[in-house]
Amino acid sequence: MKELWRGARLVAAKDLRIEARTKEITVTTAFFAVLVVVLSSLAFYLDRNTAKSIAPGVLWVAVVFAGITSVTRSWGREREEDALRGLLLSPIPRASIYFGKLFGNLVFLLAVEVVLVPLVALLFHLELEPLLPTSVLLLLGSFGFVSAGTLFGALSVQTRARDLVLSIVVFPLVTPALLGGVVATRELFAGAPLSEVLGWVQILAAFDLVFLGAGYLLFDALLSD
Amino acid sequence: MSALAFDRVHGERLVKLYGRTRALAGVDVAFAAGEVTVVEGPNGSGKSTLLHLLALTAKPTDGVLRFGKLDATKDARAIRRHLGVLAHASMLYPDLSGRENVRLYAALFGVSDPKARADALFDRFGIGPFGDRPVRTYSRGQLQRVALARALVADPTLLLLDEPSTGLDVAGVERLVEVVKAERDRGAIVVLVTHDGELSGKVGDRRVALRNGKVVEA
Repeated sequence: MKELWRGARLVAAKDLRIEARTKEITVTTAFFAVLVVVLSSLAFYLDRNTAKSIAPGVLWVAVVFAGITSVTRSWGREREEDALRGLLLSPIPRASIYFGKLFGNLVFLLAVEVVLVPLVALLFHLELEPLLPTSVLLLLGSFGFVSAGTLFGALSVQTRARDLVLSIVVFPLVTPALLGGVVATRELFAGAPLSEVLGWVQILAAFDLVFLGAGYLLFDALLSD
Repeated sequence: MSALAFDRVHGERLVKLYGRTRALAGVDVAFAAGEVTVVEGPNGSGKSTLLHLLALTAKPTDGVLRFGKLDATKDARAIRRHLGVLAHASMLYPDLSGRENVRLYAALFGVSDPKARADALFDRFGIGPFGDRPVRTYSRGQLQRVALARALVADPTLLLLDEPSTGLDVAGVERLVEVVKAERDRGAIVVLVTHDGELSGKVGDRRVALRNGKVVEA
């Protein structure tokens, strides 16, 4: 287990170091997500009441697109110069690569969400009170999305139709969790307390655990020939 | 610095199927310490597949592959500690410097002092001036030097070279020849897959020829 976390730490540190230097993933996904939010607010905003219904969808759509872009680009770095093969040749447990990439991708996505949530609140004139519980939902939803995306993103390194494969596999798998995230966020924006959406929170947490376990167990098999 | 972990690698009746394609069709091979074995054959003969099996990046469909007393299937992680692979692709991260890349691999291989190991390898290969620049800016020859340092980061017992001279100039090939000879003299098992007759002539001690997934000469 110690080896597992040591390897994961090295892989994650490597990804964060590259991103700190290039800012390629966070800047491009942030711009894209901000554009989605700004255009949606211009197109759909009518008044404060309708905004409460629209904002959750806009927020989650922006998160999902930012997430898929982030995961795709992160695995793309492993494709350059066949770097993933270098990791696979090293003696660290294969699951270390999964957990390391997952952590890096989660950090990239959360960094974008730090910009996204206040922007949605501003453009859709939302109350500030529900933002904290919404952040819990976003954290859980992002973790699940990135867990699934990182697992199947590894497939995208080994196939030519990489973006297509990732989208076809990941989107259907994460749809139930996304639905939960959107519905719970809508309830929170409408004034419901966190205790009322606890069921959705539990579903998101269960989804996270399932994909984390699947990643741990399946990652090696997915990368085998 | 790790001691040699095994003195022989041998495969018996190795079969590798990709779907219905038989890449290897019952190959018996053995590689000994302190010897450079050149694996030759036309495209599609199974050379790269054999190298994948030896690098443990693919599993044989059938047959036995042993690294000394270690079994390729059961002891894969233990064996990987003692493998070094140099291929045409450098397996380096373009946005990191050469030094950062080699330190990363040293850490991944559990080398006790990654920084000192990277520095020592950079001295050996004369990578001082450009080693701190991003790999993306390297010439082919510079890339090859850092990739060599990466491959040798854990003093591998088994060194696998897959078309290592592709795109190298004369000086680069000469440096490669010196390294291969030095590794052989250290006692490493060296397996070289190449179409470069000049390189194999300079360093090869033994040759194995493959054709249609079978050994036709050993």
